Amino acid sequence: MTIIEKILSRSSGRKVSPNDRVWSKIDMAVIRDFGGPNVVIEYEKNFGSRPVWDPSKIALTFDYQAPAKVADVANNQRICRQFAKRQGIHRVFDVNSGIGQHVLLEHGLIHPGSVVVGTDSHMNLLGAVGCFATGVGTTDMVATWHSGKLWFRVPETIKVTFKGSYSFPTCSKDLTLHFISRIGPDAPNYKALEFYGHVMGEFQIHDALTLASLVTEINGKIGFVPPNEQIMAFLKSRIGHLPEVPVADQGAVYSDSMELDIQGLPPQVACPHTPFNVKPVTDVKGTHIDFAFIGSCTNGRFEDLALAAAVLKSAGKVHPAVQLIIVPATIEVARKCLKSGYYEIFLDAGAIVTNPGCSLCTIGHHGVLGKGDVLISSSNRNFLGKLGKGAEVYLASPATVAASAVKGEITDPGEFLR
Amino acid sequence: MKFKGKAWVAGDDIDTDQIYHGQYLPLTDPHEMAKHAMEYVPGMDNFPREAKKGDIVVAGKNFGTGSSREHAVLCLQYLGVSCVVAQSFSRIFFRNAVNLGYPVIECPGIAGRVKTGDVIEVDDESGLVTSVATGASVQGVPPSGLEKEIAGSGGLLEFLKKKSPEELAQL
Repeated sequence: MTIIEKILSRSSGRKVSPNDRVWSKIDMAVIRDFGGPNVVIEYEKNFGSRPVWDPSKIALTFDYQAPAKVADVANNQRICRQFAKRQGIHRVFDVNSGIGQHVLLEHGLIHPGSVVVGTDSHMNLLGAVGCFATGVGTTDMVATWHSGKLWFRVPETIKVTFKGSYSFPTCSKDLTLHFISRIGPDAPNYKALEFYGHVMGEFQIHDALTLASLVTEINGKIGFVPPNEQIMAFLKSRIGHLPEVPVADQGAVYSDSMELDIQGLPPQVACPHTPFNVKPVTDVKGTHIDFAFIGSCTNGRFEDLALAAAVLKSAGKVHPAVQLIIVPATIEVARKCLKSGYYEIFLDAGAIVTNPGCSLCTIGHHGVLGKGDVLISSSNRNFLGKLGKGAEVYLASPATVAASAVKGEITDPGEFLR
Repeated sequence: MKFKGKAWVAGDDIDTDQIYHGQYLPLTDPHEMAKHAMEYVPGMDNFPREAKKGDIVVAGKNFGTGSSREHAVLCLQYLGVSCVVAQSFSRIFFRNAVNLGYPVIECPGIAGRVKTGDVIEVDDESGLVTSVATGASVQGVPPSGLEKEIAGSGGLLEFLKKKSPEELAQL
């Protein structure tokens, strides 16, 4: 069996095969201030004050607009908090906490092999730790709170093997962009992916999260990174014991296999207006930028910000015509950056550093783009108009974003770091 | 059921921010939400104002990619768009449509066969999409099995409400 088949077999209580329809027990159901209020309203419309199936398996994470800047969102957040109180839901991670999936992971609430749903299409970044997590809409979440179960079509699995390795300043974001541009959005639609290859053995938790997060953009259901020593050590430190991580059987059946040569891969950038329009940085070198953003659920972890700090320390000040916005994924990441002296580097360089959250990625906060503005971002989506009508967005690694912010144009981070 | 209406043709890879932009997520009033349907699809700025009840959206491949927001289905439903026919759907949009009991027909052969303004007929039982003017039709694939059962109940919540606690436990 593949990893997804194992997880869905356990959670549905029967041996599953691809394309079966199954009802799975849900281990954790998460709402945000984005989508969450609709869930509360619909739940009470349909089920009144009836207790939810299991308050200990529900979490609230506020990251969309943290803290609220408009009354509508303040009201929405209030609706969620009051519901939690009424229903005895204690896992409320309020606007000071950071991006939901990362907060839950740091608190040891995400277990390998479990099934997690959330009102966030990037829930599936938790495939990085062997968890089947998926973004769902309002109705799915209301149904889960009511019954503790949800229907799934068991996805087929594509096996992806990376051949070779890359070296600094190329990083996991570059590998990820290269990969999604090669596989495209059609083949993985509603499929699971399993990633293999030598480079996976070297992945740290932040690398795994970056790769798994962009499975959303290729319409994949989930992407699993095989556990290695570093990821197991991370999980142990959070969960309190060494968990069992599901792995595929020798005889697992895959719908497709893909091998991708990444030997010597240079830094990559996704050009407007799809994440698949990927080119080596050198092809678009010199493109003018107005904004630079380092953060998001894809690249807002401590190691991502450390990379940005290393570039800024070596490269100097942010270009006077550029706004560089840096947003740690969680409060824990922010605290670690503070202790490591990164805030000083960021502020000395002229960057804007904000509290944790989704920030510019959802235009919930901190910077909206005007017509004609060009942003280079470490996030995951550059869809037309997402961050402002008439704006252009490039996606790249934190290192490339930081280097570009200093020069005011798209820049290979290798110019400053080797 | 058969739906007959004017087609609005959209291209490939129409994402959820184009269908319903993130800035409108705090809205909960159906009438207000409907005003922003497809607003960010290039060349379809007039859609929310001019689309009539019963009109049909005909899209290319990968319709509804991106966010898990159910608003992307709801805004079309609230505007009165009777159904969506697409070459292919992104999983997240398709799932939300099934859960809301909203008719969606996957029709791989539809590309280039319909243009905006054509009156078409869509049979969500058989999956047949027919041009009223020419009589030419294209065979699509309606939801089947569990998806059909859920959509046919009027959506996931209605489906679950009909189950007794014992039946729920056995799912």
